[in-house]
Amino acid sequence: MNERNQLAALAVFGLLCAISPVFLDDYKLHIVIVSLFYVMMASSWNLVAGYTGQVSFAHAAFAGIGAYVSGILAVKMGIHPWIGVLCGTAAAGIFGLLLGVLCLKMGGIYLSLTTLGFSEILHIVITNEYEVTRGTMGLQVPGLLEVYSKAGYLWIMLAAAAVVLVVVYRMIHSRIGLNFRAVQNDETAAASLGVDVVHIRVLAFTISSLLAGLAGGLFGHYLLLITPQIPSLDQQFLVLSMTVIGGMGSFLGPVIGSFVLKILSEYIRAYGEYHVLAFGIVALIMARFAPQGIVGAFRKRTSE
Amino acid sequence: MLPLTIMNGLVMGVIYALAALGVSLVVGIMNVVNFAHGELYILAGYFSFLFADTLGLHPFVAILFSVSLVFLIGVAIEATLIRPTYGNDMYSLILTFILSIVLQNAYLLIFGPYPRKPPQWIAGASNVFGLFFYGNQRLIALVTGMLIIAAVFLLVHRTWFGLIIRAASQDREMAQWNGVNTTRLNMISFGLGCALAGAAGVILSPVFPVTPTSGVPVALTAFVVVVLGGMGSLKGCVVGGLLLGLVENIGAAYVSTGYKNVFGFIILILVLLFRPAGLFGRKEA
Repeated sequence: MNERNQLAALAVFGLLCAISPVFLDDYKLHIVIVSLFYVMMASSWNLVAGYTGQVSFAHAAFAGIGAYVSGILAVKMGIHPWIGVLCGTAAAGIFGLLLGVLCLKMGGIYLSLTTLGFSEILHIVITNEYEVTRGTMGLQVPGLLEVYSKAGYLWIMLAAAAVVLVVVYRMIHSRIGLNFRAVQNDETAAASLGVDVVHIRVLAFTISSLLAGLAGGLFGHYLLLITPQIPSLDQQFLVLSMTVIGGMGSFLGPVIGSFVLKILSEYIRAYGEYHVLAFGIVALIMARFAPQGIVGAFRKRTSE
Repeated sequence: MLPLTIMNGLVMGVIYALAALGVSLVVGIMNVVNFAHGELYILAGYFSFLFADTLGLHPFVAILFSVSLVFLIGVAIEATLIRPTYGNDMYSLILTFILSIVLQNAYLLIFGPYPRKPPQWIAGASNVFGLFFYGNQRLIALVTGMLIIAAVFLLVHRTWFGLIIRAASQDREMAQWNGVNTTRLNMISFGLGCALAGAAGVILSPVFPVTPTSGVPVALTAFVVVVLGGMGSLKGCVVGGLLLGLVENIGAAYVSTGYKNVFGFIILILVLLFRPAGLFGRKEA
């Protein structure tokens, strides 16, 4: 399937999502909305992991920052959720920039170690600062819409997912995106040809964190209850395995992975909370034997 | 109060150093960070609980079995998951991270969320320098930890195998040209790294019981110690481990217990800001 067909398929699927309130009930709409949240998360994580070869373990933490900043502003200061979401997005971007500047001059392993530490610390701070965040009880926040409607939230999340996908697409098809791939393929060669390797990595990481903040902020106001589950390592793991199983380093991979895994997790849930374990084993096997994911396997079959 | 805090800091510091040695050894030789390090630490705790408590073996036999088993599991992990990723550091990070989540959830399924505690090696408490009474189990943990660290240093600096390890971590290709079987070396050193995590686990689990996720803070601390000491530096692990153990315990005693693990992260940030290569790190890391 060539690039144009892929985009056309994505557009048709988006359209299908947009009219889904006509034929899906509230429970199924909820699954579509959550899947769209994961599309945003996985696609923006893919921008860093798949295109610049840096593994961040703080992507869920940045979503948590987006959600909590927006939620706390709304609850404590009465700031309108829409403005709050923007503030949350900016906060996630600033944290991303700081972490990126701090670690990326030292190389990829340092980013992975520090982001893992960062997400654990954020978890500890949120659980301990009970007065502000309500800890594990969760923070009740106002919604984005005056009147609650699943269809309304679906369209908001769909629009936001479209924005994220456009940003990611523009990034990887720009001159900057070319630099991304150059850095991933051969850092030294890229640097010798005048690519500022550190600059490129920090840029990708900051934008990716910013998009995670946006996803988290919107998702928090959809759930109406923000818990430490949003910035947890389990959540981070789900985003990672959606990307790996869907196809890391491909534009459509994370989108496919998000919908497939979210829908599957609903089926597995009928037998108990085993979906994390099941996805883990599948992701392990995929990362080992089919590192290109579903998209890669499909591409291989059509090219043969 | 202060002497007791320092004593606690020393015990934890030795355990951190032990856990960090395992990480650092693998980073130095293979340039791979094992994100499942904490889960192997926990696994050894569960094994020693199973062998000693459920099967009723003598605690020392149980520990020996547990650490050997974790070594073999480490060797198996290297052969099946890590080996195909050579030359692509990113995939080894992703694979070991997924492995850590899989293991956590498997433990939850098998052992449940309850804390498991292997039997203590010895009971009672001793008077330390006439200052305070200290649990014998913690004292013996301190001594055992120090003995194992000494053994690792002897292995690396005084034996033929240690020479190979040092050669490979300085220049992998050169070592290979001189006839080192780097594939086998990787396998053994990854197993050894896991066994060191396991050793820390069996020593500490009679004091701090294990739960499916209690390996996470230990692994994170080990990572901080490795960055603090300098990637791949064994001396750095010991100094860094002791430093972090002391800072955490003094911080917990005088600042806040809830934020015990945050102090390590603050140290990590400071190191990255002011001395990114770590205390004993090579500049070109």
